[in-house]
Amino acid sequence: MEKEIFALVGFWEIMLSIFMQWQAYTISNIKTFSVQSWILGIFLLWAGVFHGFIALIILALLTIITRAIAMPLYLGNTIRKQIYRARENKHRISTGLSILISLLLAVFGYLVYYLILAGHGQSLVSIPITLMLQGAFLIVSRSNAYSQLIGYLVMENSMFLLSFLFSELPFIIEAGIILDVLGVVVVAGLLMRVRDEDIEKEEELLG
Amino acid sequence: MLNLFFLSILQLLYVFALAPLAVGILHVFDERLSSRRGPSIFQEYYNLFKFFRKQSIYPKTASGFFSYVPYITFGMYLFLTLVLPIITAFPLLFGPVVDFVGGGLVFGAASTFLKLASLDSRNSYSILGTSRASSIGIFTEPIILLIFIMFGVISGTNNPYVINNILQTSTSWFFSLVHLFVGVAFFLVLIIETGQLPIESHTPNEFGSIDSLMSLEYSGRELALLKWGSYIKSFLLMNVFLNVFTLPFFVPMKFNILAIVLYMFINFLKIILLLAIFAIINNIVSKYRLFKIFDYILIAFSFALMAMVVFYVVNGG
Repeated sequence: MEKEIFALVGFWEIMLSIFMQWQAYTISNIKTFSVQSWILGIFLLWAGVFHGFIALIILALLTIITRAIAMPLYLGNTIRKQIYRARENKHRISTGLSILISLLLAVFGYLVYYLILAGHGQSLVSIPITLMLQGAFLIVSRSNAYSQLIGYLVMENSMFLLSFLFSELPFIIEAGIILDVLGVVVVAGLLMRVRDEDIEKEEELLG
Repeated sequence: MLNLFFLSILQLLYVFALAPLAVGILHVFDERLSSRRGPSIFQEYYNLFKFFRKQSIYPKTASGFFSYVPYITFGMYLFLTLVLPIITAFPLLFGPVVDFVGGGLVFGAASTFLKLASLDSRNSYSILGTSRASSIGIFTEPIILLIFIMFGVISGTNNPYVINNILQTSTSWFFSLVHLFVGVAFFLVLIIETGQLPIESHTPNEFGSIDSLMSLEYSGRELALLKWGSYIKSFLLMNVFLNVFTLPFFVPMKFNILAIVLYMFINFLKIILLLAIFAIINNIVSKYRLFKIFDYILIAFSFALMAMVVFYVVNGG
């Protein structure tokens, strides 16, 4: 039962990240990310209630509050103040090609599992791997700093899914990751707001 | 044997009589949702009667082939009506003639004849429509094939009746992710095949039309047959989507005349539900640019391919 629901959640996350590749408007990417986080949070909440894990319930609530509500709201507000960032002017890779590449990454994710991890018998591991590759691809394929940030957050979500499969990760680490990401988003948002000129440059998020 | 024959005739009458009504209901839904009164739901019947009474005119440049095509395609849809599961979940008299791939082949042959005829008419707009329809068809046909392959994986056969029976009886397959993804992919393809809004708008200008351009030179009885044929095609595809893929419930699996007659009403209710969904979609999305349609097709393809990945991931592969 839990395995099936995990597969359901995982594959809808993958489909939503493919949908992100389709979108030109940054605001709809942010909304899609919010939906992704809602699905993840509700799944964690269900698992916590099902198993009676208090830590998991708290984690789920933290996920919903920070990722599904706070971050999208904050990013959306920042975008509304800088309306010229709301749309990707030109894609570095055409939409059709990027969807195809995302699909190939999904197959590749399964191959990675099949070739390297097959001995462990957890075929569901390929879902988080695929989702992580999708997030990485979103970062590489877009030149808009907001989309890149969303890509990073998608990778984060995938890590969350992965850690759920190999449970018993200490709660403090998981909660730490959430707060960490919240910090990253705030800092990135501030940086983007301060650096008003020359917005389409890629070096925005380079070290 | 005789029973099956009569059921075949009943199915034929059911489809041919109600296909224009379904289109009429869709138009009424569309208009009501945009706060207009809309035509009568029987408007399509009046149109067909009108066309049947009018004189046929052929372009001077067209060959004899042009005038035969409406009869050929109408005959093909007649054949398809006899072999698909519409009011029963057991094969009727002609059921064993073709499987899914064969049915797809006949659908493809009918549209190929139509394309050839519209090329034969030498009308520039018809040729424009043919070019658009072919370039979209090239990409949708493989998706349909992939969907059939995935249903083959579920059922072990290519027979629509077996797929219906399996999905009707096995909840684990019905609620499986493979079925979900294939269902969504088929729905996206259905929108393309029935010419609903994100893909095609039925306005008189040439920017949005695809299929409606192809029958531009037809008139009179031939036009009526083409229109009726296209209504039947949409009706059949919607039936395949509902009876085989998404809502395979209540379809009678054994011969029982009362159950079959009752199911005819249930089936039409299902169709009306699907039409309401189409009408809502028609009212909330605008038409895509022609080149954006291919991105849409890619999304449909990604659902179909995901179904395959899901099958391997969930079943351990």
